[in-house]
Amino acid sequence: MNWRAVWRLSGPLYAEIAFQAIYALNLGNLPPTGAAGTLSIVARRRVTQSKLLVAAILALVSVGGFVALAARTEGLLAPGLDRGLYASAVIGAVYVLELALLWWTGLQVLPAYLASSAVRFLETLPLDERTLSRVALVLVGRLFDLPALACLVATPLVVGVGLGSVAAGVAALFGGVVVLVLAIALALRTGDFFVRRIQGAHAGHRQTAIRWGYLVLWAVPAFAMYGVIALGPDVLKFLGDAQAAGGERLGLTLAVFPLPLGALPALLGTGSPVLGSADAAIALALVAYGLLAVAAAQWLAGAPRALARTIPSGTVPETVRAIVLAPSTVVAAVVRKDLRIASRTPGYAFVILLPLLDALALGLLTLASAATPDAVFALGAAAVSTAALLAVFFGPALFALEATGYGYVRTLPLADRSVLGAKVAMVVLLYLGAAGIVTVLTLGRVFAPVTFLAFIAGEAPAVAAAGLFEFGVLLARARRRGLPLVNLFSGAWWATGVAVPGVIIAGAPLALFQTFIGRAPLPALGAMGLLSVLELGAALGVVLALVRGGR
Amino acid sequence: MSGAGTVPSGAVSPLAIADLVVDYGEKRAVDGLTLSVRPGEVYGLLGSNGAGKSSTIRCIVGLVRPTRGSVRVFGLDALDGALAVKARVGYVPESPILFDALTPREFLEYVAGIRGLDPAIATGRAARYVDALQIAADIDRPLVTLSNGTRQKVLLVAAFLHQPDLLVLDEPFNNLDPRAVRIMKELLGRYVASGQRGALFSTHAMEVAEQVCHRVGILDRGVLRGEGSLPTLRREVATRDATLEAIFLRLTAEEEGVREAVRSLGEGPG
Repeated sequence: MNWRAVWRLSGPLYAEIAFQAIYALNLGNLPPTGAAGTLSIVARRRVTQSKLLVAAILALVSVGGFVALAARTEGLLAPGLDRGLYASAVIGAVYVLELALLWWTGLQVLPAYLASSAVRFLETLPLDERTLSRVALVLVGRLFDLPALACLVATPLVVGVGLGSVAAGVAALFGGVVVLVLAIALALRTGDFFVRRIQGAHAGHRQTAIRWGYLVLWAVPAFAMYGVIALGPDVLKFLGDAQAAGGERLGLTLAVFPLPLGALPALLGTGSPVLGSADAAIALALVAYGLLAVAAAQWLAGAPRALARTIPSGTVPETVRAIVLAPSTVVAAVVRKDLRIASRTPGYAFVILLPLLDALALGLLTLASAATPDAVFALGAAAVSTAALLAVFFGPALFALEATGYGYVRTLPLADRSVLGAKVAMVVLLYLGAAGIVTVLTLGRVFAPVTFLAFIAGEAPAVAAAGLFEFGVLLARARRRGLPLVNLFSGAWWATGVAVPGVIIAGAPLALFQTFIGRAPLPALGAMGLLSVLELGAALGVVLALVRGGR
Repeated sequence: MSGAGTVPSGAVSPLAIADLVVDYGEKRAVDGLTLSVRPGEVYGLLGSNGAGKSSTIRCIVGLVRPTRGSVRVFGLDALDGALAVKARVGYVPESPILFDALTPREFLEYVAGIRGLDPAIATGRAARYVDALQIAADIDRPLVTLSNGTRQKVLLVAAFLHQPDLLVLDEPFNNLDPRAVRIMKELLGRYVASGQRGALFSTHAMEVAEQVCHRVGILDRGVLRGEGSLPTLRREVATRDATLEAIFLRLTAEEEGVREAVRSLGEGPG
């Protein structure tokens, strides 16, 4: 079967994946309300909107690179560094961010791909092996199409314009292709790992700890942004040292991913003599990464089908434990259920792990820094603030958990207020957990530990208020029109729509604290705490009115 | 089909549906349905695909809001007193789609938590049903790795966990092995016989309905075509020895349609 026929064959399957990504009927969600004829169209439109959002973020990353290149920021950020080396670093940073974002998008997309069973259905039809593999590949390609397009068009364009060289732009396309192939391969490989090692793993404390350990992998791409921001100055300094050392060290440095992918367009665009002196190392590294991408592409040709056919066989506990149930209170039951599902679902595990890992990373950085106690307080407070904002920004994704088994859960005597309480509790617990990590790591070095703890406590009501607002809006909508799924891929607009005001609610007391901290800590804490409590009161009033009468 | 339970004077009906109408857009799924389940009774709701059985059941358990009419469970309105109604109902859905990522133990703990059950009581009941249905070996494996039959058994355990006063079972024997079907058939009659309990049971399987239900209602395109015990229905169709299947086809006016379909399909390939 030729590619045109394969494309046609993939059409209904793609529609099914989009449908399941939005409505999640195969996860036990209730059938959506609304005109039956338009449901599939609505699903495809929402998936396209989400892909557009990811594509726009990728394009923004490229534009950031353009600004860095065109505005000749090297004089400001890396005085003395060769322009060619600087351009290599900037283009390399763009590639790293693209790789991370595409990988992360893939991890969000894969559950919909796997859950749809679309490819497994095709396996029952009289189609040859090659056609089946091609259809699966095209399906995965369609899930990435707009973000991939942004990656392949925006970056070469901005590199070409930024360096004023068509050849540089064309060379940047090579790097874009390598990054795209590697990102999709990484996403599928980690997806395969998920099906084989996480999804079917049996219960038990040790197994749960191992699962959470594996799931840390899913948070790695999200830290790319931190990496670029936090390590950027160190990378530039390292490049400066390599430039000064020259020779073998420069060559070895430029061979490290993703620098050679950036070095080629930089060399063509700037004619840098420094890069020219390491052209052999750059060429060798480019061949190596090119070959790696070819190998990944060959693997990708069969991987989507193999992944779709993988059935979680699961592990069997060595001994059967006695049937002892330990039911908890209603709110705790929902929280436990959410945590248990998250421990076997990377998309949700990510939401939980991100603020905690972020707190760990920033806490360790704060601990390792040789700053004064005052500076440690400021850094610690910044880490706590980041944890609060991350918990609130990604918190809405936890609401999508309710789509799972929703058709059954609606038949249980579970009040809307309990669902709301459980979700808000999750966000607040995430915040307090992350703040706790920062506290444990930095308290010994903080000048005023009581003030620091008061700062954490003062922000907690604002986090609860933000959570109440976010989940209240989502719950009210769910009761009217069916559950919105809020993950990066299938419900990015809804997630962003409630997360941005949520971040403003949670961020307002932090901003107030920053405004007053210059005078004295006590008034700053007082103003922060007062605003925080007022926000919680207002959110309670509005949201409880919204969900009043719910079941 | 054995003798139906009779309503004791003053007893509240486990389930009373009056003039129920369910519309999905322009399509009417249930059209003026009125029925009741008596204390101590297993009531079978029979019908072809799309007859309105699942829509009726979804109204009872709060998944669908009726266009018109009322559903009362032990006198409580299923809409106004939804939480109280749900607390007294045990429900088994048609498809065993659950939380794939949870194990049966985790799922049962969740349900027991939502229902506010005492740990010792929940444990005792769960252990009895889990052992009887032979799913103890699967209790700590994620549901995604289990067969549909095992998942259906988990749903049955969850439905009985709080000893509900009204069981609402939508094709509950789908996917079950013969042993489990036999156990559930025996259990159902005994379960509703105690106290004021009742059960509504939807099925396509006529022989199961004959064995389990005290009375049946035959639903066709949203309308109740006939209702009663097997002898009553036989009288209605004026055939002394008719099976429930024959009665069903007669009341839904499908006898000729079945003959025509068989004739058409039996004419050979092509």
